Amino acid sequence: MKVGFRKSHVRIGVVAVALAAVGVLVATNAATARNGASCGTVTLNEQAWAGSTANTYVTKYVLEHSLGCKVKITQIAEIPVYEALAHAKVDAVLEDWQHVDQYKQYATKQKSVVIEGSNGVNGHIFWGIPDYLMKQYPQFKTWKGLKGKESIFKSPESGSQGMFLGGDPSYVQKDKELIQALGLNFKFVSVGAEAAQTARWTQLVKQKKPVIFYWYTPQYLNAQYHIVEVQLPKIFKGCKEDAKAGGAVAQYRCAYSTYPLEKVFGAKFAKSGSPAVAFLKKFSWTNDQQNTVATWIAGLHMKPDAAGEKWVKANQAQVNKWLGK
Amino acid sequence: MSTVDEVVGAVPAPVVLEHRPWWRSRAVLSALVVVGMLAGYYAAKGKYGWPAVLEWSSLKTHLDSFQIWLSDQSNETSPNLFFRIVNGISGGLDTLVRWLYDALTKLTWVGTTVVATLFAWRFGGLRAAAFMAGGLASFAAFGLWDESMQTLSLVLAAVALSLAVGLPLGIAAGRSERFDRALTPVLDAMQIIPAFAYLMPVVILFSVGPGAAVITTMIYSVPPAVRIASLGIRGVPSNTVEAAKALGSTGSQLLWKVQLPLARRMLLLAVNQTILFALSMVVIAGLIGGSGLGDPVTNGLNTNPAVAILAGAAIVIMAIMLDRVTEAIAERTDPTRRHLDEAGRRRARMTTIGVLVASAVAIGVGFAANAGDIYTRYTIADWLIARIQSVLDFIADPTTFSFQHITNPLGNFLTQHILLPLDTFLVATPWFVTVAGFVAIAFILSGLRPALVTAAMLGLIGLVGEWQSAMDTASQVLVATAISVALGVLLGVWAAESEKVSRILRPINDILQTLPQLVYVIPFVYLFPISYVPGMIASVLYAFPVVVRLVERGVRDVAPQAVEAAGAFGATRRQVLLKVKIPLARDAIMLGVNQGIIMVLAVVVIAGLASTPGLGYEVVQGLQRNEFGLGVVASIAILALGIALDRVTRGNQGNRRTREDVS
Amino acid sequence: MTTTTAPAALDRAERIDRTGPPLIHAEGVWKIFGPHADRVLGTPDADLPRAELRAKTGCVAAVRDVSFDVWPGEVFVVMGLSGSGKSTLVRTLIRLIEPTAGHITIAGQDVTAASSADLRQLRRHTVSMVFQHFGLLAHRRVIDNVAFGLEVQGVSKAERLARATEVLKLVGLEDSANQFPDQLSGGMQQRVGVARAFVVDPKVMLYDEPFSALDPLIRRDMQDEVCRLQEETGKTMVFITHDLPEALRLGDRIAIMRDGAIVQLGTPEDLVGSPADEYVANFVRDIPRSHVLTLRWIMRPPAPGEEDGPTLDVRTTVKNAISVIAANERPVSAIENGRVVGVVDRDAVLQAIAGEDG
Repeated sequence: MKVGFRKSHVRIGVVAVALAAVGVLVATNAATARNGASCGTVTLNEQAWAGSTANTYVTKYVLEHSLGCKVKITQIAEIPVYEALAHAKVDAVLEDWQHVDQYKQYATKQKSVVIEGSNGVNGHIFWGIPDYLMKQYPQFKTWKGLKGKESIFKSPESGSQGMFLGGDPSYVQKDKELIQALGLNFKFVSVGAEAAQTARWTQLVKQKKPVIFYWYTPQYLNAQYHIVEVQLPKIFKGCKEDAKAGGAVAQYRCAYSTYPLEKVFGAKFAKSGSPAVAFLKKFSWTNDQQNTVATWIAGLHMKPDAAGEKWVKANQAQVNKWLGK
Repeated sequence: MSTVDEVVGAVPAPVVLEHRPWWRSRAVLSALVVVGMLAGYYAAKGKYGWPAVLEWSSLKTHLDSFQIWLSDQSNETSPNLFFRIVNGISGGLDTLVRWLYDALTKLTWVGTTVVATLFAWRFGGLRAAAFMAGGLASFAAFGLWDESMQTLSLVLAAVALSLAVGLPLGIAAGRSERFDRALTPVLDAMQIIPAFAYLMPVVILFSVGPGAAVITTMIYSVPPAVRIASLGIRGVPSNTVEAAKALGSTGSQLLWKVQLPLARRMLLLAVNQTILFALSMVVIAGLIGGSGLGDPVTNGLNTNPAVAILAGAAIVIMAIMLDRVTEAIAERTDPTRRHLDEAGRRRARMTTIGVLVASAVAIGVGFAANAGDIYTRYTIADWLIARIQSVLDFIADPTTFSFQHITNPLGNFLTQHILLPLDTFLVATPWFVTVAGFVAIAFILSGLRPALVTAAMLGLIGLVGEWQSAMDTASQVLVATAISVALGVLLGVWAAESEKVSRILRPINDILQTLPQLVYVIPFVYLFPISYVPGMIASVLYAFPVVVRLVERGVRDVAPQAVEAAGAFGATRRQVLLKVKIPLARDAIMLGVNQGIIMVLAVVVIAGLASTPGLGYEVVQGLQRNEFGLGVVASIAILALGIALDRVTRGNQGNRRTREDVS
Repeated sequence: MTTTTAPAALDRAERIDRTGPPLIHAEGVWKIFGPHADRVLGTPDADLPRAELRAKTGCVAAVRDVSFDVWPGEVFVVMGLSGSGKSTLVRTLIRLIEPTAGHITIAGQDVTAASSADLRQLRRHTVSMVFQHFGLLAHRRVIDNVAFGLEVQGVSKAERLARATEVLKLVGLEDSANQFPDQLSGGMQQRVGVARAFVVDPKVMLYDEPFSALDPLIRRDMQDEVCRLQEETGKTMVFITHDLPEALRLGDRIAIMRDGAIVQLGTPEDLVGSPADEYVANFVRDIPRSHVLTLRWIMRPPAPGEEDGPTLDVRTTVKNAISVIAANERPVSAIENGRVVGVVDRDAVLQAIAGEDG
């Protein structure tokens, strides 16, 4: 048909011109692509919490400005990132909270990732309460003091019981089991992601109301809201950390342990001999240092790149150590 | 006119005049069933949970070991042929997306904006061009140009491939009733099963990155392409098809010369819907390396919620922009309505050439001015983020009047007096009473077959060991649906009666349906920080627009003769509405209830991510804590619950397939 | 001696060629819609009244055991109320709807046994159809719509456009060739439909209630148009309608359908003059008999000496004969092929007219 023919003629013309234009662009792009310094491109994965952002952007600044690397940042969820490491789509994760199953699966069995040791930060999960509450009820120093006082934590969704505000579903936890094992009259209430949990307890804290919740350190909010820990029973041999493991509740009757947070590299990256590997292996800092940068980013809404630069410039000596200077 | 209809319609069908006494009406019978369930609840509160004998407890473990096996296979030093093929696919997809992104970047923002705007103007008209220009300008102004282009290239690749897969399937389904029937349940499953459930297998097979993101997006965006294409082919007037057949057309002549050209508008609308569905996966795609606007949403949630909201707004703007532009193109280029004469065609050709020249000039200027870097200096991102932050600070402040006297008491009331009692009721009622009750209501409202399906689905939920979580979820779904339906019917009737209201509601509905739910949960997390409520509100906001749309259409479509006749008897407007329009629109309203449930279920997972316990929470946990088995099982339960609730509320209107028009 | 000129319509019968085999031969055609329709056939169920069959088996018998022949040059009308199965019947002729049982031959070709390629050839060259709702291609110009049948056959563009232009002239639409269907009135659209069917020069044209969607005045025009085309080209036509005057006006023979079966098949005179049953009688009650019945119907053998009155063609309708008969004392002679075949007197005419009331 005549009309169709003409139209398609024009359309073919449009497509051809567009293709030609794009082709030229791509060609010029390929020609001018930087071959880069010896370091090449390093892909870091940033996890969805402020501490991880702090690690990532401090190292990014150093990689770019001291080693001439090109840094790419991905934001892949915690578990899928292991596949990414295994496939060399991501080079390094700088803070991993003891994903023991993955260590077994990917590092020990497949040897597709390498656990490179601690980033210097010690992670610890605990039951937190605001310090004004601790002052009011000094017996809350240990879990025993909670007994019989649960009802002061009452909330709309907990009925007659007290509310225990659970953590993000993605985090290691055993609070339901602990509550049961300790015989406390709490109702475990989850509000989902960390952002929602934070919103919930910060509002209660702002109103100076009682609240007890799953929390952890390093966390920049701890200082701002003066969160203190309620002591749980001592750790005993064979006591379990994560409800995923199953088993009797009695096995969970202990505090969460404190453990170093690990750096995880992809096997290919670890063997690449890039100067970035040596640097990232040495990268290590303290809880307080990480919290400082995290506060700048999440608390004061500073741009992550700017926060990284600010910290590196103020701590050149430590950075030099990482660089082996 | 189809002769079959003519013949069948002429036989005076036995008119079923339901002269049931009031005590046998559906509503009363259903209420009786509920009373029976209540009796069961009080008689044996909490005594009969789903029995362990009827549980297949090792299913999760099997699924877990399957995932480990799959991962081991894929990470072998020399993977087998299957994985090599799969790697090839994901590599190819990665390249495709990167290529698109490079092209968009190399064009510079000046080039991209000018080319896209001129293109929209040439094929979609002035309004479309304005939307295109406005949208692109706002990405730049938000300081999210790069992320937007990443998302745009991902979406373009996913949409192109979804159409490449979906349109042929849809056309085949449009031409074959049997194929259509076989395909429908698969499409339903693809849309209801939460993406979180299959994210990990996708990652193992396709690794992370744009390729995997494209695959994940496609699982969700192929169904609308298929459905609407099928609908389009079916919508070609049957007498035209018959006439072409009678002239001796072959099958392919019929397809290419008649069906495709006449379905063209619908096929372009399929493009439009596919784009919107693909965009709604942006956040999830970000979790597995899709990059783009999803990343600031996910990360912003924990570090800077204002950024998350800004990026969410960019997603919405992109959705509205692409929606309006493709819709305008579909309308303006429809060959059945647009009749160009010779002069018109010449003019169109000249315009095309002009557009091409102008595009080339713009690209050149962009290069010359090195425009790639300029825009960053002029964004208003910081100003916007500060504004959003101040709003967030205000609503997060527990000392404000609105928090203390409105939202907090409202949230508490919802939780204490509606959600928790219903939840307790569903969880603590003996399981067999609950099953019997649901099945009985399905039988009363929808008939025997739906009742059997309901029974099977509830059985499946118990079998996979998700009874309690499913009852948690069911209670939330029921409450959210009730609220959505109440709100939706009210607004829908109002919109049908008043053009002004309808005009105001339409864009709001559009925004609510495309905004990533994760984004609008954020403010409510602060406003109603009580576990169930933000998720519930998110569900309601997502579901009620559909109800509004269906009800509005239902009431509007009431035969004008009936309304006229009522008017002739001197009925007031109010009487016409209450006694004629609403009763006659009952089917549409029932369909609204039904669709509302499906939409609410679609948000369950996101609600779980944000705030709500139940099946959604478990699906999220499945991904984030590497409990693949749990995630899959919970997804199966969501699917089963969805089917069960669908059958319960379907009514006996048969296989009405209107979901397509809804989306 | 005066002989009134016979109206043009009288000539039609002469073009019907009954010497050879019929052009269309349908025998024992059934169409049953519904699940397992074939299983109903041949059982006593098939003879149940429709509503009962539907209640019992879920099937609807749209066409039941229909047989007829159409001769070359004939206008064969199928008449019935909506739902009588007439549209289904016409579609089974070219298997737009597959007949459940029966045998159909068109122009010597066994349609029921035809392969899909044969069937396509039949539809392309031998039979074409005009539809109630036109079924035009909304995305094509009028000329391209008319040329569609040729395009499907693979005729070159130049030739098909030339032929389409010719046919458009024939239906008086030469000025609208470049317009689109939705820019035309309903009547004009149906002219396009007729032209489209006509352009392939078929042996048989099927009309499925082609004018029922049109205004009465336009309908009348279109009927004239069809008459004219038929006279000019002598095409065989099967014409479906629910409108009795239309049927009487166009049809050489008319089949009246009810509930899927033919209740009477005959010439207009047969139907009006001796309805087969109450149903048909009710149908034709309002038709003025004098407009339909011819002298043949009311004449009697001439008594000796009566044959020298004024003469009229035996096919003259009573209405047209009245003035002549009334003006003459003597009976009027009806002649056929120059021979007197009977006489008609005033009494016979009065009787025929009087019959109109009862």
